[in-house]
Amino acid sequence: MLLFEFRSFLLDGLLNTLLLSLVMIAGGTGFAIVFAAGLSLPSRWLSRPVFLIVECLRDIPLMVTVLLVYFVLPNIGISLDPFWSSALSVSVWGGANGAHIIRAGLASVPKGQWETVQAFGLGGWKGLLLVIVPQAMPVILPPYISLVTGLVQASSLGAVLGVNELLRSAQVLIEQTTISRGGSPAYLVYGAILVVYFVLCWTIALVGRRLEAHFTKPYSRDRHSIDRKDASSEVLVQTAPLDVRT
Amino acid sequence: MDFTYIIDALPDLMKGLKMTLMVSGLGILLSCIIGAIGAALRMSGFKPAEYLVTSYVEFIRGTPYLVQIFFIFYGLPSLGLRLSVFWSGVAALTVWASAFQIENFRAGLAAIGHGVHDASASLGLKRWHHALLVVLPLAARAALPSSMNTIVATVKNSAYLQAIGLVELTFVAVDRIAYDFRAIEMFFSICVIYLLCVFTLSGLGHVLERRLNRPFAGR
Repeated sequence: MLLFEFRSFLLDGLLNTLLLSLVMIAGGTGFAIVFAAGLSLPSRWLSRPVFLIVECLRDIPLMVTVLLVYFVLPNIGISLDPFWSSALSVSVWGGANGAHIIRAGLASVPKGQWETVQAFGLGGWKGLLLVIVPQAMPVILPPYISLVTGLVQASSLGAVLGVNELLRSAQVLIEQTTISRGGSPAYLVYGAILVVYFVLCWTIALVGRRLEAHFTKPYSRDRHSIDRKDASSEVLVQTAPLDVRT
Repeated sequence: MDFTYIIDALPDLMKGLKMTLMVSGLGILLSCIIGAIGAALRMSGFKPAEYLVTSYVEFIRGTPYLVQIFFIFYGLPSLGLRLSVFWSGVAALTVWASAFQIENFRAGLAAIGHGVHDASASLGLKRWHHALLVVLPLAARAALPSSMNTIVATVKNSAYLQAIGLVELTFVAVDRIAYDFRAIEMFFSICVIYLLCVFTLSGLGHVLERRLNRPFAGR
């Protein structure tokens, strides 16, 4: 069978997809934190431009962003190879989507929490990371996990620029076997790739659900005790899930 | 930036925009129809149909859109279904968007409370009158914001179709860059055009939303 015969070639592509996805997830998270910080700057003159950039990145098709970075950056003296070019463009897009997820998550934590943290003398980064962020996690995680699967799916865009990831190796495989053997079952190759991506995203969603359960655990224990019911329900106010815009 | 070059390229870009709008218009129309049917099937209570629709939605949402396009354009001919570039594009957009529309419409239907059914029954409305005159307006109002998002995303996702050689806006831009190397001008213009499309559509969505909310506003 064709797929079995070229398994090492396809596996190479899968490894590159995983690598590219990891770079995109890391980069996207980084940009998301930067953009979220930019959105919550105290001065309107500083936060407005960030908002404008984020909104443009969300509203321009991802395909255009990827091609734009690849074609326009060399004009201003930055030449990136296809791998880093697609990694950068998808990361920036992921950051724009992630910024709103993080901002909404932090906003869902009641203000009193922050005041309490400061009253305990835990202001600044320590209070944010140890008290506020864990409480924001139940709100951040569900849309963030779907963003992560979106980033894994977006790694297939690397094929357009010629990165040797899974989709590209499928294309090469079909081309090569068509030339050497006069025809190859394209539906089989692309179908197999679809299944591989689906399994990948399914696994991420499963891990995400586990992680979610971990962060909601402290509140679910309270749900059964009557006297602290109001306190727990206040923390678990869910905002409408933010959509990831392709 | 050379604006005379952009003006010179404008006729080509308009041709591309026309193709973009045609493909995405057909995709939006078909995906709304399939979305409504799928949502109805999913709420029907007939278990096999429910599982089928749910797995369709999960599979489409769990796989990259670009691979779906390649599967439809390059894969289906060897299974005996040969579509032109245009109809492959429409099919790809429809398949992708209908998965999301099924979810949107299902959520819209689920948002209608049980009291509505009781109220219709007590007014003596027939089943079809109940579905058309009571459930549909309420469900449309609940599903509008999220399905508007999907509609906007459908227009944006038509840009992916340049990968199979459909001559739409992005393809025109990349094609001209290959000849003239005016990347900055071309990308600036298509970004502006895409943003205008997106803002127009979401503006229309807001107007419609306000119109559908009118019976519920005030008093």
